Amino acid sequence: MNRIALAWCLAMMCVPATARAQAPPRAAPAEVVADEGIPVDSTVVKSRCGACHRSDDKGRMSRISYRRATAENWELTIKRMVALNHVTLSPEDARSVLKYLTDHQGLAPEELRPIVFEGEHRMVEFAYTADETTARLCSSCHSIARVLSERRTKEEWQLLITMHRALYPLVDTQPMNSGSGFMRAGGRGGRGRVSAPATGRGSQTARGGGTAAADAPADDRNPVDVALEHLEKALPLETSEWSAWSAAMQPPKLAGRWAVSGSQVGKGAVYGEMTIAADPGAADTFTTEIRYTVARTGENVTRRGKAVVYTGYQWRGRADDWRETMFVERDWKQMWGRWFTGAYDETGVDVKLTRITADPIVLGASVTAVKTGSTGQNIRIFGANLPESIRAEDIGLGQGVKVTRVVSARPNELSVEVDVAAGAPIGARDASVAGTVRPALVVVYDKVDGVKVVPEAGMARVGGAAFPKQLQQFEADGVNNGPDGKPDTADDLNLGPVDVKWSMEEYPATFNDDDTQYVGVLDQTGLFTPNVDGPNPKRSGNRNNVGDVWVVAELAGARPIRARAHLLVTVPVYMNWFSEANTSKTNGSPAGRQ
Amino acid sequence: MTHLKPVNRKAVRIEQAAANDVVALQRNGVPQMPHFPIGCSLVFSPGWEADHSGGTAGLCQPVERDIFDCHIGCYWPAQVPDQLNHAPDWTAKCAAAQKDWRKLDLIFP
Repeated sequence: MNRIALAWCLAMMCVPATARAQAPPRAAPAEVVADEGIPVDSTVVKSRCGACHRSDDKGRMSRISYRRATAENWELTIKRMVALNHVTLSPEDARSVLKYLTDHQGLAPEELRPIVFEGEHRMVEFAYTADETTARLCSSCHSIARVLSERRTKEEWQLLITMHRALYPLVDTQPMNSGSGFMRAGGRGGRGRVSAPATGRGSQTARGGGTAAADAPADDRNPVDVALEHLEKALPLETSEWSAWSAAMQPPKLAGRWAVSGSQVGKGAVYGEMTIAADPGAADTFTTEIRYTVARTGENVTRRGKAVVYTGYQWRGRADDWRETMFVERDWKQMWGRWFTGAYDETGVDVKLTRITADPIVLGASVTAVKTGSTGQNIRIFGANLPESIRAEDIGLGQGVKVTRVVSARPNELSVEVDVAAGAPIGARDASVAGTVRPALVVVYDKVDGVKVVPEAGMARVGGAAFPKQLQQFEADGVNNGPDGKPDTADDLNLGPVDVKWSMEEYPATFNDDDTQYVGVLDQTGLFTPNVDGPNPKRSGNRNNVGDVWVVAELAGARPIRARAHLLVTVPVYMNWFSEANTSKTNGSPAGRQ
Repeated sequence: MTHLKPVNRKAVRIEQAAANDVVALQRNGVPQMPHFPIGCSLVFSPGWEADHSGGTAGLCQPVERDIFDCHIGCYWPAQVPDQLNHAPDWTAKCAAAQKDWRKLDLIFP
């Protein structure tokens, strides 16, 4: 009996150890910061979203409370709930939910500044330099701004990865942009090594460990794990910027007159005024009246619209068929951003708005450059509160430039004639008008040394039959080499748009390259209109009308000057993520809604 | 492809995948395995707008030739409507993309 009891006791003592030895290793739990999460205090959000998103005792709703994002980002989330999760929302409720979430769980101004281009629908080259792996991995399908437009808790970033895998199962393995998907490619010695920079397609390291990078040991983690670690650290839910802004934020009072100073590629500078009135019916809502003139041509544009301001500083407006994205500065005296239209929002004006007070303000002029030795040149000066009784001697344009006559004077526009001395030094001139100075109103130059085409790299998309066209507008600016006489140095002068002859030339990328015959038409205002989408039976291989070409500007003269830019004409995007029935007069697409 | 013999492992994988490609999916009685795209995107790994050298020579030409692979495999989720979730019927009216591409819709997800 004793032996059996002893054996039994020993067996009992052994069991826990065996159990421990056999238990599967537990993964370290994700760190939970105890009081993270932003309680939701909105009846609309709780009622429309609460069926699936449960609230806890502190009023935090699952998933929703653990994230901050921009208006565009929250909008995509709401759309996904409708598209994939059987949510039905009236437009009014959707707008209320969007407004609440963007206001109370948004980005602070300093968090948004680096990525304003996303809300502005502006095509830029943007490099996210904080972490190369994150930048490459996360911008293969969509812009990195999509990532930078939100802040999440650690667990939420992990859930974002899970969502990608659930909705797009190939994301782990597809080798985007010759790199790897979420997971390291090719096993041991594969080319998905995190630390090695992309050395081009087809570079396979030898099996069993290839050449390691100079700084050993190579990071063997999957790219997604490197990115996750970076995101959790760099873009957390709680930041001092957001704590400060969410406390300081208030509905901005923007009613009044605002001077508009803008520039539109292909047209040059635009100057005018926007009158803003508060909409008494809804907080943060305004109605607008816009009037501006294209400085070079005198073309007048008027529009009426309305706007909403999110998070206390993010202006989103619509005026006729144009859309407006602007950043309201904290002093409520300046706003800046972009007004845009087009099937892909490619047509736009970069704008800066300044509040008009009682003081005179000079915005710009109808010419950007004046030549030495010229006489009687007419210049229209745009502004606000300009004195109608101004005399020629009250307008100063600096050394060697003399205002000889005031032709007409209105509060928003002066018309003057100037003489420029033959020996006037070349360079920018500030304009002083009735006690106010507008720096660098015009540039004095002696000759045009070169031409620069902008943008240097343009993009258009074929369309018109089933999908929208994306246009590309080019502009040719004159350049003077500046006092040092050398091109491409810091003292070069930009003379503004010059009249050139536009043409397309082949950019030879392959044998028998014939893109210029198929991609589309470049008109003499520098506007490129692409050809129609779909396979082209007239082209070898039934190819699309895509390709890449040189866009060439030639300035006539004793010695003609040529400049060029690269234009990529490519395929449509078949999904329109941010449009609400954009109408563009120039794209001619019958694209319909699903 | 019966006259060609795979020489390396990648070719073997392509041959196996081709046995279950889009054309095969349209035939009845064939076992429905998960679709692994084998089109231009996978082979050349270009971007959507531009290929690796910044031009269009390395893209699928015409793009309609690879549309089904992009759509069914959810390969370009931000550019081509994915079949799995957002637009399962995107190609419902479009049996042969190179001929029926006009019946594809612009999707507002």
